[in-house]
Amino acid sequence: MLDEATILERLSRAVMDGDEDAATQAANDAVGAGMDPQRAIMEGLAAGMAEMGRLYEEGECYVPELMVSSEALYAGLAILRPLVVQSASGAIDRGVAVIGAVQGDIHDIGKNLVKMMLEVSGLAVHDLGRDVEMDAFIDECMKVKADLLCLSALMTTTIIAIKDYLPVFKAKLPGTKIMIGGAPLNQRLADEWGADGYGENAMEAARVAIRLLEG
Amino acid sequence: MWCETMSSAERMGALMRGERPDRVPVIPFIFGHTALVCGQPLARAFDDAEESFRCQVLAAEMYGYDGGPLYAYASAGGWEFGGDVEFPAKKYSGATVVTRTPIQNEDDVYTLPVPEDITKAGALPIALGLARKQAEHGMPVTLQIGSPLTWAGSVIGEERMMVWLIKKPELVHIVLDKVSQFLIKVAEHYTKEFGAEKLMAFHGAATESNMLISPKQFETFVLPYLQRINSRVLDLGVTSFFIHICGEQNKNLKFWQQVPVTRQTVMSFGREVELATAMEMFPEQIIAGNVDPTIIQESRAEEVLRQAKECIEVAKYHKGGYILMAGCDVPPQAPPVNVFQMVKAAREFGRY
Ligand code: B12
Repeated sequence: MLDEATILERLSRAVMDGDEDAATQAANDAVGAGMDPQRAIMEGLAAGMAEMGRLYEEGECYVPELMVSSEALYAGLAILRPLVVQSASGAIDRGVAVIGAVQGDIHDIGKNLVKMMLEVSGLAVHDLGRDVEMDAFIDECMKVKADLLCLSALMTTTIIAIKDYLPVFKAKLPGTKIMIGGAPLNQRLADEWGADGYGENAMEAARVAIRLLEG
Repeated sequence: MWCETMSSAERMGALMRGERPDRVPVIPFIFGHTALVCGQPLARAFDDAEESFRCQVLAAEMYGYDGGPLYAYASAGGWEFGGDVEFPAKKYSGATVVTRTPIQNEDDVYTLPVPEDITKAGALPIALGLARKQAEHGMPVTLQIGSPLTWAGSVIGEERMMVWLIKKPELVHIVLDKVSQFLIKVAEHYTKEFGAEKLMAFHGAATESNMLISPKQFETFVLPYLQRINSRVLDLGVTSFFIHICGEQNKNLKFWQQVPVTRQTVMSFGREVELATAMEMFPEQIIAGNVDPTIIQESRAEEVLRQAKECIEVAKYHKGGYILMAGCDVPPQAPPVNVFQMVKAAREFGRY
């Protein structure tokens, strides 16, 4: 019988190494050992991803490594996630989110990392991609009954779209919390424009999302 | 009152010859903006050679800056290799974007054709149209020859390419090779049509940024192709280059030093690379930069003037010469008065 600490360590390692096969194997071992799947996700897979995020901030790793790590994370998630949803606590079924980069913006690498962290945290995420028009966000949020709408913009020209969209979303989507992010944005702008939350990076985005949905 | 003693063409000419002009030359780095100040839709800067040329000439005349018209775009590559693009027609759009990359999966890499007739590929008919206007007016003829990884990203899709850099490096190399073949064909065509001595070859290097890739990845996936393209372009007899090193690239600079260029090469930098660093790394070349495009859009004129003055004070006496320029393409809707502050700063603080 493998001990849980070792399995968690292997899950983290697999993500950090970007090794999909190792992630799959460690996830299967976690299941075999009867581990709490949510714990395996958060303290294993997500912990590894968090460490990669830290290394990125420090200039110790780069976007290709982050992307490959996220693929390994998804491989592990594919095994563990269904078990959590079935599990009695249902703790991980945290809500439904819609995400996209606003019209005029085709930068989507950061947005995709945010999407991944939200999925890890137990949200069902509908990704509208990039260059997304206001009405497409509204339609999708209504269709999937979104609890959370996440808007990404990387340019000073496109953050204006967020500013313009926000009052409309507030009026048309009263049951949906709105979180925004992207390099030119900050907490002050988010407050001024009436967003419910702001996240500086993907890890932060996940924390804020959970706070918004549980608060 | 101090008066300029040179025309813009004379000023740029002096700079290129390694002589001191009357004042620091200015290339504001406004492309789409030139269409807007002429009352044209933004898309005209990108989709119509005649109109793009006309707007750029009129804007230069109005502001009094020195850079001539050119045609280049950041997402180049995707359309030229058979994908789709959209010109900036919608409310928040700022530039041409790729809406479908020519490569969708691994198999596509092997079958991806290098366009036979470069004059018909993607934006090249427009670029060539503008080049012909440049030639007609006796201006330097500009051509976009990279940078190869930014082109490859636009062909593969940047995100897919990021994963392949680690998992399928051989696929990225195949695309980089095809892109390089294409760009060399472009340079050969321009040389034949306009004459090498008229040309200024342009690289826009965005996906090379250390926001995305490591210096090691730059060394493996960028440097050899830059060397190959530039060596060939030099062989053709081209004597002038313009290289925009976009965003955070401090860790790449030692590799940029190994890219063959001439003395008559403009190296332009974003806010992330300090001018003092650039001057030290490229003593012989012309340094350009690096007023923050965001403050040009967002801040007050006084702030733009202050930052432009600071740039001039640092780089004015650079051995290879200096051009005052924004750190990246200025957002099209930037207030014209803010754009003008760069010219004002050059006149007030940039006199030699
Ligand atoms: C890669 C890149 C490109 C690629 C995009 C590839 C792609 N598929 O995404 C290409 C080459 C195609 C490109 C094109 C252009 N780009 Co560009 N690009 C960049 C670059 C170098 C890196 C962006 C990036 O991926 N960063 C890495 C990721 C991991 O970080 P991130 O995106 O910030 O995301 C994190 C956080 O912001 C946050 N976050 C992000 N979204 C969200 C959402 C929510 C809800 C939350 C909570 C958090 C959150 O979490 C993320 C993960 O931690 C930046 C430089 C820079 N300094 O940012 C320029 C930059 C963004 N580009 C810029 C520009 C101007 C352009 C162009 C218009 C032309 C040009 N001159 O380059 C074109 C057209 C773009 C368009 N119409 O959208 C400018 C924007 C300037 C401005 N106006 O503000 C920048 C800043 C470059 C510069 N120095 O001037 N670009």
